[in-house]
Amino acid sequence: MGAGSNGLDKMWKELVRMCNEQFESEPFKCLLNAKFTKLRAQHYSIQMAYYVQNRRDCWGYVQGSAPLPVKQIIWRHEEDELIGQKAQGKVDHITLAVKEGEVFGLTADAFEKTARMEGGEVCFSAWIRLSQKSWLEAIAASAILEMRNSAELIPGGSLSQRIGMIFERDLIIPMKKQINNSEHVVMDVEHAHLLMQVAKQYATTASAQEAILGGARESLMIDRIYRGHLADLMASLD
Amino acid sequence: MNLVQDLCRQLDQMVNDQFDSVEFKAFLGVPLTMERGRFYVVQNALYTSNRRDCWGYVQGGAPLEVKRVIWQHESDELINDPRAGMDHFNLTVKQGEVIGLKREDFDNAQVPAMVQACFHAWHHIAMRGHWLTSYAASHMLERRNNGKIVKGGGMSFRVGKKFENELGINLKRMISLDVHVVADTEHSENISEMFEKYIKTPEDCERVLEGARESMAIDRAYRGALGFYMERIN
Repeated sequence: MGAGSNGLDKMWKELVRMCNEQFESEPFKCLLNAKFTKLRAQHYSIQMAYYVQNRRDCWGYVQGSAPLPVKQIIWRHEEDELIGQKAQGKVDHITLAVKEGEVFGLTADAFEKTARMEGGEVCFSAWIRLSQKSWLEAIAASAILEMRNSAELIPGGSLSQRIGMIFERDLIIPMKKQINNSEHVVMDVEHAHLLMQVAKQYATTASAQEAILGGARESLMIDRIYRGHLADLMASLD
Repeated sequence: MNLVQDLCRQLDQMVNDQFDSVEFKAFLGVPLTMERGRFYVVQNALYTSNRRDCWGYVQGGAPLEVKRVIWQHESDELINDPRAGMDHFNLTVKQGEVIGLKREDFDNAQVPAMVQACFHAWHHIAMRGHWLTSYAASHMLERRNNGKIVKGGGMSFRVGKKFENELGINLKRMISLDVHVVADTEHSENISEMFEKYIKTPEDCERVLEGARESMAIDRAYRGALGFYMERIN
């Protein structure tokens, strides 16, 4: 994904480095070292559905502030997430998360009745605030979370992939039955390119690139806090 | 009369009242010349862009089901309206050809000061208000364009008729105005359906009315500003 001149290549490498570094952080290690029981998987799954909903909030705000051609790119991105690809028999990602919950013994009702964890609520507010900043910071803040979930960019496996493997190991649920995780393993490889697609046209100056790096950095910080709260929630469910 | 019916009756009254305001009368009373027509069409494209900003923000703040309705709504506007075979911004640009405008006239267009202030005000409600307030603020601009609700025709219809009567350009050739006569009727009805589901209390109604009132005030300021600038074009 080299972009060559104008510092874009350097910016891209830094973004990829930051994504990889997430997995070396204490909160990520804590979450990914947890042993998942059925109860923990259930709560993880429910909280992740809220996370997906917050992504929809943030991408909406980013769409609002971006230039028209970028709005069109985001609109198409949101089709997968919010609506699904009916022609290919693919449902939206919220429905997918709820459907995946069935393999952990969850009903749709459980998703509706379980509250968001407090730490998650705070992180969601922080992400929303970030999505209302300047559009380059905002788009970077949202897109970086998909880069962090791209197996193409994370040699040790994306977050969805790693969580999927833990479910496979601890709960003997094969990856193909984890329809939400396996969908994101594929989709976020594709979605991870969105930021560079936009940056090539709109981030040719040092200040624009700094805005992208700043938005990404702040979002990954919130991401670490969020994963830390998830790890704490898992630990509390014995 | 139930809560939503009563609310819709108030919203209908508000969009009709717009056309009795001094600002709307002043705007619609400015005689069109070709130059003024060009100014209006370019400014209308900028207005359309501002609508895209605001609906994006509203989508961000709304519940999931409402996000989906807005996403569908934005399909016509942002991607492709099957009625026109293109998105609404390109439709406006294409409409401009009829009165001698080129793509660069739109790309290089300046937003006049009073218009800029209105655009920022609409952004503010869309991003900062309770979602019902933001939603109502954007919805009202389509309701005000709905000829089934506004007696005498919505804004696009009336402006289209001005082009027809004063410049001799048939409404059918003003493709963007013509599409909006129909599109905004459908859009305002689809969006309005969400009120049935989400308005449960007098407080919900007040949130909607707050957004409607504020948006209609900005709309009057916006139309007044357009009239002001058009009058100064000879």
